[in-house]
Amino acid sequence: MKPLAGIRIADFTVHNAGPFCTNLLSQLGAEVIKIESAMRPDAFRKPHPVYGRTGPATFDQVASTKMSVRINLKKPEGVALAKRIVGVSDVAAESFRPGVIGRLGLGYDALRAVRPDLIMLSVSSCGQDGPDSHFAGYAPLFGAWGGLSDLTGFADGPPVEMRHVMDHTVGMNAAMAVVAALHRRRATGQGALVDIAAREVASSFIGEALLMAAAGVEPGRTGNDHPRMAPHGVYPAQGEDHWLAIAVASDGEWRALCEAIGQLGLAARFPTEADRHANRGEIDAILADWSRGHEQNAAAALLQAAGVAAHASWTTPEIAADPHLHARGAIVEVAEPDGKLRAAVAVPMRLSKGPEIGIHAGTPKLGEHEDHVYGELLGMSRAERDALEAAEVIY
Amino acid sequence: MSAAPLTGLRVVCHASTVAAAYAARLLGVQGAEVTWLEPPQGSDLRREPPFLPGGERVSALFAYLAAGARSRVIELDTELGRQQFGALLSETDIFLDDTPVEQRAGLGLDEATIARLHPQLVHVSVRPFGAFGPKAQWQAEELIVQHAAGEGYLLPNGLTTELFPDRSPVKIHGHFAEMQGGIAAALGALAALWVRPDLGGQYVDISSQDAMLSVGAFAIQRLGDGSVEHRVERSFRYGGVIPCADGYVELLTLEQRQWDGLVKLLGSPDWALAPELADNVERSRQGAMINGHIRAWAAVRKVEDIVREGQKLSVPLAKYYTAGEVLRDPHEAVRGLFQPVQIDGVGTLPMLVSPLHIDGKPLALRGGPPALGELNLEAAA
Repeated sequence: MKPLAGIRIADFTVHNAGPFCTNLLSQLGAEVIKIESAMRPDAFRKPHPVYGRTGPATFDQVASTKMSVRINLKKPEGVALAKRIVGVSDVAAESFRPGVIGRLGLGYDALRAVRPDLIMLSVSSCGQDGPDSHFAGYAPLFGAWGGLSDLTGFADGPPVEMRHVMDHTVGMNAAMAVVAALHRRRATGQGALVDIAAREVASSFIGEALLMAAAGVEPGRTGNDHPRMAPHGVYPAQGEDHWLAIAVASDGEWRALCEAIGQLGLAARFPTEADRHANRGEIDAILADWSRGHEQNAAAALLQAAGVAAHASWTTPEIAADPHLHARGAIVEVAEPDGKLRAAVAVPMRLSKGPEIGIHAGTPKLGEHEDHVYGELLGMSRAERDALEAAEVIY
Repeated sequence: MSAAPLTGLRVVCHASTVAAAYAARLLGVQGAEVTWLEPPQGSDLRREPPFLPGGERVSALFAYLAAGARSRVIELDTELGRQQFGALLSETDIFLDDTPVEQRAGLGLDEATIARLHPQLVHVSVRPFGAFGPKAQWQAEELIVQHAAGEGYLLPNGLTTELFPDRSPVKIHGHFAEMQGGIAAALGALAALWVRPDLGGQYVDISSQDAMLSVGAFAIQRLGDGSVEHRVERSFRYGGVIPCADGYVELLTLEQRQWDGLVKLLGSPDWALAPELADNVERSRQGAMINGHIRAWAAVRKVEDIVREGQKLSVPLAKYYTAGEVLRDPHEAVRGLFQPVQIDGVGTLPMLVSPLHIDGKPLALRGGPPALGELNLEAAA
């Protein structure tokens, strides 16, 4: 059984973080109604030249497994129609700039009036309050504001910008918070306003560094170094732009690595973690000499067989083809509208009593589910719907 | 006052790695009572750097992960310990465990034993490659998970790849991938708990690799579109990390009005007003030229000035804050992102609480990290 079966979400989210949240919840069984409009098509329905895409996406991960209805929220009748959907929903999710949803007439207070125990999720760059709350932002800005990017990069280089992983982790945090709020509703009958600030999600990944800074030790960028482990790095492997990640966590693993690569003398030269860390530059050079002559996956398997943490630095096609990820159902195949199969990413968990979780539908067409939502859920007549279409409310 | 969302929920965390520990933190800060089940020598995480200044080697990582939890020492390899553990789980809703799968049966931690003895328990396994699959027993640390999940190969990008085109990929700071495992574990635990009235307890198998891949799903999507991402080509055509006179800003203009604002911020120079640049596809093509102008303009200006003036024009711009600047940020002071907590051996320090506000208020930590076995001492007193 999908765990969130029976939960319905009115989904006003845009861009990536919010839609990723509701996509995870949809994969867990929630019925997610994506509210959109031909007036302002979602980004995936348009070309995206910044990313080099010249037409609409034929599959959109974050829109999959959702339903689509059209509503023109610029019209009062559209707002009223959206409220009717919220009235039959457990959750409303939005990710506009703070204040926008209220100006549309769909703020928390307005929606509570139609659904008193509503869980409302607001996803934003900087949160719903505070002096920067009006700032616009995207994933790279969240990482910059939050301190995560400043700590990422080579010690002698600039900070490194975060990309979609930053958006999507905001969404996964938000999904968790929504389910937590549902638990409180079940226990108390009380709805909730859940406000998640993307830049603070970025900061939540540097909690230990923030403590160090608070104690007077400002941390900096350290590349692939680890404060304790050595060797710990990404080493060149046989072939062009192939790499092997290795992390040695104990003296035992170090001896095993030295034996596996046929250089036991190294184990005697650098027997302790302190020795290795102090001489990590020299050790890295020796390891790189070895790794250059080895195919990355074979080298990883050799080291893993010796009990050493190692993995090839995989490209996306290699990941999409990985038998382990397929066995776990983490990578699944979905059908495009023309029937062509392609890889997609499933909600990251396996449930012993919910094996059917995951993506069960591709990207919905704009307004594809209006018969279900307007007809079956809201009980609207064909004539009523036609009138709203003619008035460009359902549009 | 509204109760924290998970008030009354009882969680036991048996963790020696970040992922399971982070799941416990996420549940705890939302109101759950979290008990760390530790061996007599304490969790390995107590010995993980960085260490806070002072002589006692107090782990900042452990302090962050275990803040607000209690600690109970139980020796799982003794009969008495097994009894204590069984009694503890009988009063628990969620059990988070990262013990290597092959070691579980010997400690009574395997899926079948726990399901038989505690049928209402949500049992969450959190491992780097999961508890099932051909690589379930592979060794991994954070760096390994980042590279096994794809994002490792795709970083750095932008300015760093321009400066160091021949260097290896570079990891995201800290424990980003393991923490994705933790977030997925918390989500999975709460989802499984949601259907407990219908189904009873169940087993949730979390892999940090799966979770990291999940947040990197866009690369898989682009693969399906016929495009393979690579860190060198992954840069924004213009914008990105912009060096200024005294630091860096991030600049990203995706929409026309944002570009228009940027042109004004730059002083409406002739090159930016060229008619062909009104078209965003053309701007993409001429990204290198545009960035050359932006960088020359920014190099002689201060970060604060650029951000202040840019935000007035609704240009998405952010300063690259250091950890110390995040701590001192007036916005975060208003938001209540930090809370003072007591850390034994160190003193009182501000600690990040949560990026979540519920009902208009920040969440709260119950306190700092627990002393090892504090619940045993209380029981004996």
